[in-house]
Amino acid sequence: MSEPQLSYEQARAELASVVERLEAGGGTLEDSLALWERGEQLADICQRWLDGARARLEAARAAREES
Amino acid sequence: MTQPETPKSTPEEPWPVRVVSQKIGSWVSKLGWVWVDGQVAQISRRPGASTVFLTLRDPSADLSLTVTTNRDVLDIGAPELNEGARVVLHAKPEFYAARGTLSLRADEIRQVGLGELLARLEKLKKLLAAEGLFARERKRRPPFLPSRIGLITGRSSAAERDVLTNARRRWPAVEFRVVNVAVQGPTAVPQMIDALKVLDGDETIDVIIIARGGGSVEDLLPFSDEALCRAVFDCRTPVVSAIGHETDIPLLDYVADVRASTPTDAAKRIVPDLAEETRLIGLARQRLGRAVTGLLDREQHRLDAVRSRPVLARPHVMIEQRATEVGALRDRAARSLDHKLAAAAGDLRHTLARLRALSPAATLERGYAIVQRADGQVVRAPSDVAKGDELRVRLAEGDLSAAVTDSPG
Repeated sequence: MSEPQLSYEQARAELASVVERLEAGGGTLEDSLALWERGEQLADICQRWLDGARARLEAARAAREES
Repeated sequence: MTQPETPKSTPEEPWPVRVVSQKIGSWVSKLGWVWVDGQVAQISRRPGASTVFLTLRDPSADLSLTVTTNRDVLDIGAPELNEGARVVLHAKPEFYAARGTLSLRADEIRQVGLGELLARLEKLKKLLAAEGLFARERKRRPPFLPSRIGLITGRSSAAERDVLTNARRRWPAVEFRVVNVAVQGPTAVPQMIDALKVLDGDETIDVIIIARGGGSVEDLLPFSDEALCRAVFDCRTPVVSAIGHETDIPLLDYVADVRASTPTDAAKRIVPDLAEETRLIGLARQRLGRAVTGLLDREQHRLDAVRSRPVLARPHVMIEQRATEVGALRDRAARSLDHKLAAAAGDLRHTLARLRALSPAATLERGYAIVQRADGQVVRAPSDVAKGDELRVRLAEGDLSAAVTDSPG
């Protein structure tokens, strides 16, 4: 997966709109599937950002405990 | 009597000492009578002698003059005059040729009372204020954590101890450069001004404290001295004044950059408390951590919430939905097809029946036959055909072909 260029906020905002469109329904099957895939991808990006942030936090805390 | 004009002195023709000292004497007396303000540093009253010798010091500068006066002048003007007293005297400079000494001959001495001194102080205060020496915007803030503190105070005085112990208790690593000075009496001001110059010139010092314990109004007068105030005002380094008790407010307090009520208070203001600072930093760090983790948790919850929406969590729903739709459509299609078929079958049967009813087959069954010309025209009358025409005869079970042999009429 390429390095997510989207910022966390951008990914989350797009995810919200994807979900909205999916829930509104009415799209073609093909579109709905594509939307669903995009939604999953965005959710992963967000999760990666959150995990990254938590990791940095832990690393900083660990580094401080050692020093 | 005018002095005979003696020729200019030259190396070849120098003036004898008597001429020089005589000239000095005349020059000196040109000053005439003056009123002098000063502080009595020494009094020497020899029993039986009518002349009294005084040493008069300048309150701000390291200068003094000897004063000779008559005992009665002293007794009348300033009875029980003691050392350290502030006096105003009316005197004329005298050059005592015999030993080449200069002194002031006083014919009137007045002791300056405390009231007078305080009145002068008020006047000075207004003057300095008018000049802007007390201006708030000129005051500089000492650094939060001074690397080195200059301290001007009495040698091994309570003030010195208070400042040092309190500062070190709060911040053990604090560094001091102490300059001990007289903190009362005539020599106080000049020494303090010198100490200020030394400490102000020292680059490593970033704040100077002038500290003194409690004392009488007279004791604290040096800390309202104009020269000292101006010296403090001109300092590059911020100056903290910590004089006397809470209630004592010498002029130095107005000029200094920071006014501490007591030496201990000065230590508290100038040196942060290590324990307190570390605690605050720890607190700040905790809040920092909590803020970030709080943010992360909140965002995680939001993401989980979004991910649990059916459209994401159970995408097959979307497909099933469509599948059921398709299934439903298919059923409908099938059902409507059945209907159509059934209807069509019904129609067919119906039309067939009608066809059959109209169709000649039954008649043919009963032995009739249909005669057609070659062009398919049904022959209804002999005139429809002519002799020799080819005919087609349709019977119940098949066809024949025939020809017209005779066509009557």
